[in-house]
Amino acid sequence: MYRYDEFDHDFVRQRVGQYRDQVERRLSGEIDETAFKPLRLMNGVYLQLHAYMLRVAIPYGTLNSRQMRRLARIARDYDKGYGHFTTRQNIQYNWPKLSDTPAILDELAEVEMHAIQTSGNCIRNVSADHFAGAAADEAADPRPYAEILRQWSSNHPEYSFLPRKFKIAVTGAERDRAAIQVHDIGLHLKRNDAGELGFAVYVGGGQGRTPMIAKKIRDFLPEADLLSYTTAIMRVYNLYGRRDNKYKARIKILVHETGGEEFTRQVEAEWQKLKITELKLPADDLAAIASYFAPPELQDRPEGWAQIAGAKKSDAGFSAWVHQNVTPHRHPDYGVVTISLKPIGGIPGDASDSQMEIVADLAEKFGHDEIRVSHEQNLVLPHVALADLEHVYRALLKAGLATANAGLVTDIIACPGLDYCALANARSIPVAQEISERFGSLERQQEIGDLKIKISGCINACGHHHVGHIGILGVEKKGAELYQITLGGSGDENTSIGQIIGRGFEPEKVTDAVETVVETYLGLRQSPKETFLEAYRRVGPAPFKEALYGETSKAA
Amino acid sequence: MSETKLWKKDGFVADDPWRVAGEDETADANAKLLLPLERYLELDDADRRPESTGVVVGPADDVSLLEPHLGRLGLIAVTFPAFNDGRAYSQASLLRDRLSFGGELRAIGDVLIDQIPLMLRCGIDSFAVTNETAIKRLTEGRLPGIDSYYQPAALPSRSTGSYAWRSIGGA
Repeated sequence: MYRYDEFDHDFVRQRVGQYRDQVERRLSGEIDETAFKPLRLMNGVYLQLHAYMLRVAIPYGTLNSRQMRRLARIARDYDKGYGHFTTRQNIQYNWPKLSDTPAILDELAEVEMHAIQTSGNCIRNVSADHFAGAAADEAADPRPYAEILRQWSSNHPEYSFLPRKFKIAVTGAERDRAAIQVHDIGLHLKRNDAGELGFAVYVGGGQGRTPMIAKKIRDFLPEADLLSYTTAIMRVYNLYGRRDNKYKARIKILVHETGGEEFTRQVEAEWQKLKITELKLPADDLAAIASYFAPPELQDRPEGWAQIAGAKKSDAGFSAWVHQNVTPHRHPDYGVVTISLKPIGGIPGDASDSQMEIVADLAEKFGHDEIRVSHEQNLVLPHVALADLEHVYRALLKAGLATANAGLVTDIIACPGLDYCALANARSIPVAQEISERFGSLERQQEIGDLKIKISGCINACGHHHVGHIGILGVEKKGAELYQITLGGSGDENTSIGQIIGRGFEPEKVTDAVETVVETYLGLRQSPKETFLEAYRRVGPAPFKEALYGETSKAA
Repeated sequence: MSETKLWKKDGFVADDPWRVAGEDETADANAKLLLPLERYLELDDADRRPESTGVVVGPADDVSLLEPHLGRLGLIAVTFPAFNDGRAYSQASLLRDRLSFGGELRAIGDVLIDQIPLMLRCGIDSFAVTNETAIKRLTEGRLPGIDSYYQPAALPSRSTGSYAWRSIGGA
């Protein structure tokens, strides 16, 4: 993975110094909260319902054991002993003292981490496929490009005050695990017929109150042009993106209102003037960054096959976990391990300090010192020999981290909701917990198969409900919480926005409603192989409406 | 509200003669006026006197319209209606990088201390400052910038010898 050089260290030190000075101004009363807000936001510090919240960047969701141990220590020393992994592959601390935040940033800087641009109307942490570098279906590792974008976008003088926040995601596989079509810019790294690397460029996707699927504005952008082309997009957006209404300020609205063709023409025209500048990436520089992400040397470990077969026979729990949470690696003797942060009835994405330390230990011992955070709020050990899986499983089991539910109905994404967030209209976590309890039986989950439930506590859609196979949106109606259900959303290479199925449900009825939807699916699927999403796409909303609202209902 | 002071890299400038033209004012050989871009474009060539006529670019203006006149312009002001309206960063970058404007480029509006380093990098070289914290800090010579740059910008900088996109301050 990428390691800081002296330049990076210098940069982060200076940035922490800048932030420390800003906090001192606030604490001394030289500036008030209004003046402080934009300053703290550029460094990931929010004011939540009960306290300040600090969001720490985990660039493209990759970290090593030393960094994970530091995150654990910060959770213990400055917070209540846990952290919350987010849908943008970052970690949030919910209870730091403002006066401690500069010290936390010092601690992070020591392990080559920071909180730069984790909020504010700027280019946010670049996210990537959490299986990058390990997945069997990958054209190339997308992370070197994500790292180049991270560097280029850091403290960018022209793009620090955009109309609105800006999120970029990169994937290197046909199977899109990074949800690139619901990002402001989505980059799909691939090879052309000549075998050269480049990107399909998608612009203008997003969720929030106006969900939109991104438009592909270029089918193949040579890798050397990554920064010049991105600069062209940013310049068009910065100059012409709407600033009159914050809900219409994302680039998706600009693309929509300008029209995809005209927007593309503007970007291409700007790019013609930028492509032959110092933004063109020299092959040497690309190679130097890529070398940081060279795959670990994986010894052949064929003995794992027999070991696993034996252990699976004697231990149903292990067998279920391997089946559900281990994904094929490009090396046949290895697997990609998903560590579920979704224990039955737990809070999605939360991990305690000791859990983080156990994951760090396992990564160091069995995982070539690499850990990933997935946008589905789980952790991943990308390179584990099949022969070591049982050790890893036993240790995870002891730590309460071996829930065998990756991709199943209890692997729920949820935003923090009204329990923490100042923007939320409704609670998300208790809804996730109740659904998780209801479907807690592993057999039942396996029978249901792949099913993604995503829950947002307000229209801002941090819980990605628009792309949930079943999406749940908490709204407030006449002072009470109400939950709308959407069906058929998906955030993969066949992205779709879920459709609202009908009137909302009271908090105590939402789990029943989800169960009705699931039972309806089980009753109409053509075979256990037909997933919920496939079935929904085949039959449409009608049978689900009928089951939820009755035959005569003409639900809105 | 304190009064507006003009700051440049070497310090505050007293008695700056330029002012933004009033609504019914037009080019005047005896006053140094900054005219809105649209009004400037309507002037006769004879009235486009570099020593007395400058331009204020509004946030929604297209700076490329100034291209034929840049040789006759000594001062262009770009506007920050609020600190978080970042269009003028792009306008300044275009004026310097694309259009090679060599005259004075001034920031007016909501000019705050934490943003001045970014403005400098986009090629803005004079600042009409009203904010008290900004004036105090500029007086004390405390400009909170970062001089390690991860991207090229209008302000010249020095190569680090590695990675084309990086450079450091102080050309």
